[in-house]
Amino acid sequence: MSVTMRALLKSPWVFHLSTGSCNNCDIEVLDCLTPRFDIERFGMRLAASIRHADVLLVTGSCNRKSMVRVKRIFEEQVPKPCVVVAIGECSMSRGMFIHSYNCPRPLDSIIPVNVYIPGCPPKPEAIIGGVVKLIKKVKASL
Amino acid sequence: MTREEVLNGIRTRFAEGILDYYDKSAKRVYIEIEPGSLVAVAGHLFGELGARFHIASGVDTRFHLEVLYHFSVEALNLLISLRVKLDKHTPRVPSLAPLSKATAWIEREIHELLGIDFAGHPDLRRLLLSEEWPEGVYPLRRDYQEWDPKAIRDRGV
Repeated sequence: MSVTMRALLKSPWVFHLSTGSCNNCDIEVLDCLTPRFDIERFGMRLAASIRHADVLLVTGSCNRKSMVRVKRIFEEQVPKPCVVVAIGECSMSRGMFIHSYNCPRPLDSIIPVNVYIPGCPPKPEAIIGGVVKLIKKVKASL
Repeated sequence: MTREEVLNGIRTRFAEGILDYYDKSAKRVYIEIEPGSLVAVAGHLFGELGARFHIASGVDTRFHLEVLYHFSVEALNLLISLRVKLDKHTPRVPSLAPLSKATAWIEREIHELLGIDFAGHPDLRRLLLSEEWPEGVYPLRRDYQEWDPKAIRDRGV
């Protein structure tokens, strides 16, 4: 395992990316960071800038305008290696917005997604569990 | 001024422009007016009565396209909605944007989502839809059809 990957898995810095969600998933992501769940004890930190991020936590059903931005962020701005976690029903299948004129495509047809965390919204435990699974998955693939 | 004085004043002054009047409750009145007298009635509400403009809503009903302008007279705790019914093929209504800047953006939004033409609007550009959206396709119309061949509408299960 390279030093980069070791550092990444030891302390993944997450970036929280909302692509037009109802803010419920965002509140649950916030709950993970506050003292009750406190994901910092697993080494995960919220990165202030996308350029410091190792993990993208994506919430919300991508709409026509944010689709372009998500693609640009993933392809040009986030440093590689980077893993993507889709949080909530909207970012997986768009939930109730699947027939919306403004949400033509699911997130995983725009950028590759590594882990899906279902729920509307998922509990903070589920989000933490998802990220732990992600670390195991990446470790196993190395 | 009391509620009755305000409402009777509107009804007598704009008698020929008012098509329908529906006193829904103590707090809510719907006045259907013809498009030509919209600016005059709204100017009366906004200027002389000091009503506050809340929002406008656009609706595609079975027979018409409707625009509702919601005003509130706060001293009376009264919400007055001006309803304008428009023809589906040539939906055109005078804009209230020259009267009040607050109406400019909501008229832009109704214009792009329902295709209603606001005559006299100073800047009728798009507000929310993306650049790739084709001209002349209005997503909140009843007869809206999917236009994007790349859209995926199944959950893949």
